[in-house]
Amino acid sequence: MVGAVLTGKLNLGTGLLARIRPLLDRMPEGAVLAVLSDNPEVRDDLPAWCRLERHGYGGVERDAQGLDRHLIVRGPHPRWNRSLEDLTNWPARVEASTGLAPRGAWAETGSPASPFSALDRDQVSPEDGARLYAQGAQSQWNVETDIPWARAAELSPELESAVSQIFSFLAENELAALYVPSRFIARIPPAYVETAQALALQLADEARHIEAFLRRARLRGGPAPLSTVPTAASLLTLFESEDFTESTFLLSVLGEGTFLDLLSFVERHAPDPITAEIARRAKLDETRHVHFGLAHVARALRSDSTLFSRLEAAVRRRALALSGAVVPGPVQDALTVLAAGSTEPGALARGHDAFRSLLEVMRENRVKRLRHAGFSDEQAAILSDLHTPNFM
Amino acid sequence: MKPILLGAVAYDAKVVPIWEGIREHFREQGVPLDFALFSNYERQVDSLLKGHIDIAWNTPLAHVRAQKFSEGRTLSLGMRDSDRDFTARIVVRTDAGIASPKALEGRRLAVGSHDSVQARILPLHWLHAQGVDIGKVNLVQFDSDLGKHGDTGRSELEVLQALAQGQADAGIAGDLVWAQETAAGRVDGSKIRSLTGTAPFDHCMFDGRPGLEADRADAFQKALFAMKWEDPKHRRILEMEGLRQWMPARESGYQDLIAALDRTGEW
Repeated sequence: MVGAVLTGKLNLGTGLLARIRPLLDRMPEGAVLAVLSDNPEVRDDLPAWCRLERHGYGGVERDAQGLDRHLIVRGPHPRWNRSLEDLTNWPARVEASTGLAPRGAWAETGSPASPFSALDRDQVSPEDGARLYAQGAQSQWNVETDIPWARAAELSPELESAVSQIFSFLAENELAALYVPSRFIARIPPAYVETAQALALQLADEARHIEAFLRRARLRGGPAPLSTVPTAASLLTLFESEDFTESTFLLSVLGEGTFLDLLSFVERHAPDPITAEIARRAKLDETRHVHFGLAHVARALRSDSTLFSRLEAAVRRRALALSGAVVPGPVQDALTVLAAGSTEPGALARGHDAFRSLLEVMRENRVKRLRHAGFSDEQAAILSDLHTPNFM
Repeated sequence: MKPILLGAVAYDAKVVPIWEGIREHFREQGVPLDFALFSNYERQVDSLLKGHIDIAWNTPLAHVRAQKFSEGRTLSLGMRDSDRDFTARIVVRTDAGIASPKALEGRRLAVGSHDSVQARILPLHWLHAQGVDIGKVNLVQFDSDLGKHGDTGRSELEVLQALAQGQADAGIAGDLVWAQETAAGRVDGSKIRSLTGTAPFDHCMFDGRPGLEADRADAFQKALFAMKWEDPKHRRILEMEGLRQWMPARESGYQDLIAALDRTGEW
């Protein structure tokens, strides 16, 4: 194969390389490029550059038009790894040596090994991360302008304190949802970047929720909300998982899934429009996170027959660590008062019923989600019952 | 096997990671190797010939001296791909009106260190062979890093800088420094251009001490030639040392240097 390129008066110091290097880069080793030059100084400089780059210099002769015809034999460098060339489809496996090369590019071989560890497609699914990312990007909202802060209502101190307690608890859970997935972003190679992007938007969602929840929690002063050991213990177990699929399962499928029902409860019983709107918007975001988790786990279950037992083991480990725990007292009481709408005994009895119904709804929906992810009825029931009483 | 002790001149801080990396590679190859760093090539050659070190990583000047002083008893063990067919470029300011080597007489020629083969010794020898009376050329000398035999490349960069600033009409630089600086856009191609180049010569060499055991010399070569550009660990080392591939030794490229030293008596 011989290609030819006209380079006029250009030389090494005046732009010649911009004409010839892009051609050489894409030629196979041993292919020949003829450089037709009208500058005799190229005779001095081109052989030196070829030696520098390990291309063969095949000499020069004068052609019929009076131009110098230099021949360059494409050397062995650079070599390209084309495993990421397909822009659309995820490769089944990523080579650590492709570094930060984005999908669609040729990666020069010999790059330092990247620190990414999630190099198998099945570890990083879902592949429709691009769609989830696009949905998330379109759904970002603003705490300052999208929540009707001006419509604050005067609540009884007990009810206000209950709302404050609930939102402080919600924020605590969202802090875990911020920290835990962040640890996995840096393990996902650029070839699967859509998953990293979807996770990044999840983090942005959590950051926004934390802002909104804490602002609502402290909106009207009152006693400081309580943060309990069972909540901390439950959330901190989420930090222990070093496996992306296991962590996604615990956090997004079981935790955030259960959180959806909690947010619905808060929205339904909200005593003011601020509380209702925050819960409604947070729930929409969390629905995307749960969808991401379900899609990821469903795909992993299809490709890995040992996954169910691994996930069950993870849930059991967590249950053991949290054995004997119930819904933390301050949270249970606050949810009861919220649903009651007052501290009048008859209302509180109704509130308590509503709280018990919430636990039942959470269980039913958790089983549904687990079956949707691909677990059998029996497996779903086992995993659901082992889930933390802290909701997340 | 007794560890091979290799000498290298510490011409730059990167010499330490280069040889630590090579030592690690040799260890993986089952060839024990350690290195000793010298501040100049004269001391290194002396130590090689006294048998204090087994192998020296030598410049061409150190190589031919080691051969001559040992009466040909050193062993040439290998070189870089970039050491083969080196040339020195005679570069000129485009506004200096210098069209041939002979026209350098009476003009200012920036040259590198006294002990730099590529930036002074061989190009001046080559110009002499072209009929240029070196005595009539006003040499602008950049004698930086003496004892390092031009390894640092500093004097060559100083030559190019002097040309750019108009402190000289012409200058000398190794072809790789010239091509690299020019290709990287650090030389204004409208102000400085290459006039001509010397005949090709060869550059650095691993020299084994007289009497180095054959099995140790073989083990050294085998481990050395096993380094691969495609291996990221090796590539970093090879990049720092300025090569893509280690090559077998050859002697054909040192004849001009020997002739130059014979002529000037600068052995």
